[in-house]
Amino acid sequence: MPDQIKQNAAKEINQAKNLKELEDIFRIYLGRKGKLTEVLRSLKDLSEKERKEKGQLANKVKIELSQLIEEKKKELANKKKTDKKWIDVTAPGVKVPRGHLHPITLVQRQIEDIFQSMGFSVLDGPEVETEYYNFDALNIPKNHPARDMWDTFWLKDLDLLLRTHTSPMQARHMEKNNPPLRVIVPGKCYRHEATDATHDVQFYQFEGLMVGEKVSAANFKAIVEEFFKQFFKTSDVQVRLRPSFFPFVEPGFEVDVRRKGGKWLEIMGAGMVHPNVFKEAGYAKKWQGFAFGAGIERLTMIKYQIDDIRLFYKSDLRFLKQF
Amino acid sequence: MKISYNWLQEIIGKKIPDPEKLADLLTFHSFEVESVEKFDNDWILDIDVLPNRAHDCLSHQEIAREAAILLKHSFKLVDYSKKIKETKELASKAVKIEVKDKELCPRYTARVIDNVKVGPSPKFIQDKLKACGLKPISNVVDIANYVMLETGQPLHAFDADKLKDNSLIIRRAKKGEKIVSLDNDKYNLDESMLVIADKEKPVCIAGVKGGMGPGVDQNTKRVVLEAANFNYENIRNTSRKIKLKTDASWRFENSIDPNLTEEIDMCAYLIQDICQGEVLKGRIDIYPKKNKEKRVNLETERVRNLLGVNIPDKEIINILKRLGFQVKGTKDKLQVAIPTRRMDISIQEDLIEEVGRIYGFEKIPSQLPEAVLVPSERSEDLIYQNKIKDILTNLGFTEAYNYSLVDKEELGSVELANPVSIKQNHLRSSLIPLLVKNVKENKKSFERVRLFEIGKVFNLNGEKVNEKKKLAGIISLEEKDKNSNEFYRLKGVIDTMFNRIGISNISYNNSNDKAEIRINDELVGWTDEIEKGIAVFEMDFEKIVELATEERVYATPSKYPAMVRDISLLVDHRTKVVDVLNIINQAGGSLVKDVDLFDIYDSSERKSLAFHIIFQSDERTLTDKEVNQLQDKIIKSLEDKNWEVRKS
Repeated sequence: MPDQIKQNAAKEINQAKNLKELEDIFRIYLGRKGKLTEVLRSLKDLSEKERKEKGQLANKVKIELSQLIEEKKKELANKKKTDKKWIDVTAPGVKVPRGHLHPITLVQRQIEDIFQSMGFSVLDGPEVETEYYNFDALNIPKNHPARDMWDTFWLKDLDLLLRTHTSPMQARHMEKNNPPLRVIVPGKCYRHEATDATHDVQFYQFEGLMVGEKVSAANFKAIVEEFFKQFFKTSDVQVRLRPSFFPFVEPGFEVDVRRKGGKWLEIMGAGMVHPNVFKEAGYAKKWQGFAFGAGIERLTMIKYQIDDIRLFYKSDLRFLKQF
Repeated sequence: MKISYNWLQEIIGKKIPDPEKLADLLTFHSFEVESVEKFDNDWILDIDVLPNRAHDCLSHQEIAREAAILLKHSFKLVDYSKKIKETKELASKAVKIEVKDKELCPRYTARVIDNVKVGPSPKFIQDKLKACGLKPISNVVDIANYVMLETGQPLHAFDADKLKDNSLIIRRAKKGEKIVSLDNDKYNLDESMLVIADKEKPVCIAGVKGGMGPGVDQNTKRVVLEAANFNYENIRNTSRKIKLKTDASWRFENSIDPNLTEEIDMCAYLIQDICQGEVLKGRIDIYPKKNKEKRVNLETERVRNLLGVNIPDKEIINILKRLGFQVKGTKDKLQVAIPTRRMDISIQEDLIEEVGRIYGFEKIPSQLPEAVLVPSERSEDLIYQNKIKDILTNLGFTEAYNYSLVDKEELGSVELANPVSIKQNHLRSSLIPLLVKNVKENKKSFERVRLFEIGKVFNLNGEKVNEKKKLAGIISLEEKDKNSNEFYRLKGVIDTMFNRIGISNISYNNSNDKAEIRINDELVGWTDEIEKGIAVFEMDFEKIVELATEERVYATPSKYPAMVRDISLLVDHRTKVVDVLNIINQAGGSLVKDVDLFDIYDSSERKSLAFHIIFQSDERTLTDKEVNQLQDKIIKSLEDKNWEVRKS
């Protein structure tokens, strides 16, 4: 009998198509009321000799069937995996529509983050300015030859201009806030001049201003050095100050920066805030501080090795997609 | 400004470093030398003298002085007055000079030289003029230019015999007066301009250009030499008005020291020496208000404080003396006398700059400030600008930065007085026109274009200009998507964006041919499918920031399960989805948590809408029975509106 059972069960196991059928087979033969279980259960009515003989055989069959079922189970499980649709994993993925931030935004964010980590607040200011904030409050009187340093767009029939630098925000901010203070002002500025690879009628600048009782040129040097170390992500950055002139600072500096093995790059104008600017803002004599301004496009061009400033304002996706 | 290396060498009289080394020395302590170029046997340094030093340093003499100071050489100028051999005839008898406008002409110095022999100038003068980019003309004229390049004082030579009545009058031009310049160009003059005139007519545009009339030529025998000082603003305005900038006007409009006119003696001496001229007795000099030395106080502690570098008192005093300043006073409180040529120095900080640059700005150490670190403030505007930019780029939009300057056709609002080009002669009042242009350009290379921009737009408001920050987006689909509706796609973008910054309660209303976007019923912008395949939106960015930052109340999610029922219905083409939603919400009451339109199909007359309706209570688990009752109530309300509800 167990032989017969074994033969039938083995055949059925072999033909089982899935785990469910296999479970059914298990139940039919090895379950609580299964055929082989019945055989084993009937042993108690047999003589000792027969019980021993048949018992051994039935147990052997039980073990063999259990093994077969286990093997089949594995086979079916494997089959389930291999049955899954074959995928060419080397084919390209479906493109997810992806937008890109403008490189100026990327660099401006970096500038903002670095200066914020050094305690500078970020301000915004108007692009249409008065002559007072753009020039007079910054110690650039009317008809002064220094005004020629800024080529200015004027608005028709209005006593207004397009700001030529972010510096007006120095005057606007100091007028309303008491020192000590640390701010940066990134923003769009305008310049009345012919365009070429390094000049355009509009550009982005960021202005910095720090005022306190003991804020010195040495402090300025340390702050810009720290900025450029973080901006270029290297500790090997040298900063060099040399004389320059901007009416709203005294002394005035030109700031050159050099990365390891690189050339000196002229990167920003700076200086110690001119006493006339403090006076105009109503500050007492004990305050001193530094101010600086740099072109964001210039930093962006250095960072990404872009060779033409006009690419920034063409909204050409072939350019923008690279950032 | 072009500076000859050999010339500097001659003035200093001692060995100076190689041209490149000298250029570096000047760049790090005085002004930027932009280039050094070989020119015959000489080198030309192109020096960028900025306005603060343009009073004194538009000359070889003062650049040489700078170099000598830096090299610690002594520096002494030749006294030419002692080299002149004057005749007995009085200059003041030979020519009558009257300054009528002493405001515009603070000093007028002249000499008269007789029996000059006009001819070509000697080689050493021609070489130097050429090196500095000037064309040699004749000995008298070349000498005047040579002296200007050396000293910074512009000079002018008149042929005395051609002056009507031997007179020179410095006055404002009369209305309608004209002049023909030495270059044979005609200029119309007006009353704002200062001229040098003889008895009859203007013979020179003061400080700008000489006139043809009394010009020096081959037959000139007697020369009146002028070295004057003119008001810088007036020269600047005249030069702009007549659109003529000369070596003389450039120097005058930077304001020069009236005491420099005494350099006329160098010019007179050279004419005596080179053109065999005989210098008449006396210097005519009309100089009513003398320019005197200034005194500026300096606390040495302030030098160290401002620069952040420890320069000892002794060194500070030493540097000031090298600069040619006289120093008096106690050790730490100094009174410094400033020579009149240094018009740029009037306050303590100016002296600190002098000390700092001679000492060397490169020696300033880096030292982080000791001040207490105040936590930085970040404006809400910036936070939301960053957020929205990130959200939109995640939704497949690329950021554009366009010009603020546009054509009037491109919704230009405020006009510029002095545009660079007629295509950019207005300020933009909207971000849309250039974005549309961007899309069309990009369509040449890309099927699918999505762009956004955050930027200022401008509108005229009386005498003022209103400046507003806007957010705009544009979407344009691929050819094969032509049937889908960009408008709804863009609306989805807008809704998602608002959702992510915590703004709900957005509604859209038809207004003219575009859709208004409202938040809490407040107008924030508009959206529109402006042409087939292109949809846009433009919103008031400041208003969005304002609405997003208002405090939001957190609602606990319900602990009880939600049940979903679907309803689909056929309505008239013109029926608004929002009206259907209102009916569903009204009929369903507070247990309707959300209604979600998941399908819309528009045929020509009717459209089919399908909604998921989510029922949920915050207090208990809803039963099938009560949800079915609510659903029936909703269906009935919809049918009352004569809309066909499809039962499934």
